[in-house]
Amino acid sequence: MAEPTRSLAAGVRISLLSLGLLAGCSDGAEKAAQDGAPSLIVSTSPAGFPKGTNRDRAPADNALSLERALLGKRLFYDPQLSRTNDVSCGTCHQQQYAFADPSAISTGVDGRTGTRNAPSIVNAAWGKTFFWDGRADSLEEQAGKPIENPLEMDLPLADAVARVAADPSYAEGFQKAYGEAPSESSLQKALASFVRSLVSGMSPYDRHLRGDDSEFGPARKRGEALFQSEKVECFHCHPSGELTNEGYFNNGTYTAGGDAGRQPVSGRVGDLGKFKVPGLRNIEVTAPYMHDGSLATLDDVLEQYAAGGRGDPTTDPLIEPFALSSDEKADLLEFLRSLTDPALLADPRFAP
Amino acid sequence: MKWQSLAVLLAQAAALAGVLGCSSDARSRGGPGGGAAGLSGASNLSSGGGGSAGSTDSACLENPTPRRSQGSVLSLPLQLVMDGKPFVFGQPNALADGGSLVPLNLRFYISEVELLRAGGQASIPVDVVTTSGVSEPYGVHFFNAEDGDSSTLRVLAPPGDYAGLSFALGIKLSCNQQTPASLTDPLTDSSQMTWPHTGGFLFLRYEGRSASADGGGSAGATSAHEIPAAVHMGGNITQELVPRVTVPGALSLPMGGRLEKSMSVVMDEIFKGATSNIDVSDVAIGLLSTPEAEAGERLRRELPALHAFVLEP
Repeated sequence: MAEPTRSLAAGVRISLLSLGLLAGCSDGAEKAAQDGAPSLIVSTSPAGFPKGTNRDRAPADNALSLERALLGKRLFYDPQLSRTNDVSCGTCHQQQYAFADPSAISTGVDGRTGTRNAPSIVNAAWGKTFFWDGRADSLEEQAGKPIENPLEMDLPLADAVARVAADPSYAEGFQKAYGEAPSESSLQKALASFVRSLVSGMSPYDRHLRGDDSEFGPARKRGEALFQSEKVECFHCHPSGELTNEGYFNNGTYTAGGDAGRQPVSGRVGDLGKFKVPGLRNIEVTAPYMHDGSLATLDDVLEQYAAGGRGDPTTDPLIEPFALSSDEKADLLEFLRSLTDPALLADPRFAP
Repeated sequence: MKWQSLAVLLAQAAALAGVLGCSSDARSRGGPGGGAAGLSGASNLSSGGGGSAGSTDSACLENPTPRRSQGSVLSLPLQLVMDGKPFVFGQPNALADGGSLVPLNLRFYISEVELLRAGGQASIPVDVVTTSGVSEPYGVHFFNAEDGDSSTLRVLAPPGDYAGLSFALGIKLSCNQQTPASLTDPLTDSSQMTWPHTGGFLFLRYEGRSASADGGGSAGATSAHEIPAAVHMGGNITQELVPRVTVPGALSLPMGGRLEKSMSVVMDEIFKGATSNIDVSDVAIGLLSTPEAEAGERLRRELPALHAFVLEP
């Protein structure tokens, strides 16, 4: 029987958040948000993550502030940033799916389809590189690329800036946030600021790491132990805490002639079929899985790893076949479900 | 030491810190349920022939107190070699048997650097420094073959004539005992050097992919040794197991100047140590039950006798 993942109401979680109980501290001025609601910005950090809050992780030239995150949120959900005025960032990064896309491959302007699955962007404040192939070194750099990608939003950044600059309320927002009229740089910075505000740190697993096992029962503990074991070796790429080592590995999904992944970015033969290791918070709701969305369920994911991948010789040497009993598989799945943070999925602060 | 109790205390302290507002470094090493899980087998680890580094500066400080504010800079670009030829990361390297080897991952830590003096005089501890001359975080240099900026080891030392250098290939015990979440780079999970089963960091990590001459899979071999698919060398959090490497060679550091020499990382020797016949069955339980960990333990024990690092010319 599945252990509870949604036993606390989102509203209760948000109340905890507003009280600063989510392992972080909120800036006093920003916590006092409009209409008494919790601020969009809370300096916080999920359990076991690298040192520093989401605010600490922001670059010096784009310090995290409420004005910037609110501006970024408006831009994030604004279809004006697509050539056809009908696709926004939020089209593919949907809150109820932890800001991932339930489609294997996202659909952009004019019904065009991309080449990869849109990953969750939650907790991206702690990321070091971005996109499945790591072609962006910062959230600011990342933010502009889907807007210009012909398969996604297909709008030159200069045109996006012109559109928002024509709106007086946007002009005022940019002035408040960055002290200037809209520009390509400030548009990207604002989007990055909103993404930095998307922190998921109240899953049963987070609370378990903080010493509260009220929602982390025996099955989840057995699953965690298995996850950390040499038998399945998940920990090599998904170390305890952040559950990503920010590296690139060929996990056995690549097959000959497929998406080359990291290789075109690095130029190294050895990077063929390598993709960035994703963090696993909320993995239960971010199906389908892998860079191409080719695995529909977590059960499928475990089956692929248990088989040692799809058999291509470029597969990482640490991906080796293993056998799982049905009980072990159930425990592993239960552990993965413990990474779900229901409050994030319904948090009105992050909604359009 | 009662690690179980320590883990509980750490968890309680971290939980309290979380409630108080700022710190969330609640994770204890060792994975499931706290810090103790990975330690049951660790106490069986032997220092073996590893030549423990035996740090005298025990604290793990992100900003270590510099030993000196001025001196000469010894700059040592690290060059990977195999079979006497450059070993190119991420690209196919020809093997003596006609096959090829593509290295996929190669990382290691260097710390506790000392310059050797002739005539049996005591060696001189030196600071590991950045390009700007300040101490590296935790006094550690992190070599990552994917990152060209990490390819040069720099130390700040008194000018003079030396007979070589020695260093710990890894990190000292006080750092090895810390949780990655409480540390900064290069001692974080993104180093890809964390190893929950021992409750410590890897000291050296290697993975590669070999192909035979006909393009099929192959274990691969240099002209003298087999090549393991992976080598994970580490220690544990209860003992100082980091191996010490001695690299002989004349080094004349000019007054107020800098000396640049290169240091080869001889992959043949790394593979030789990792595939040696040393019996590691005394630690072959739990955490060391995998081929890559056993290879690492063989390397750790053999390292002081190998010529894995060579000053050039």
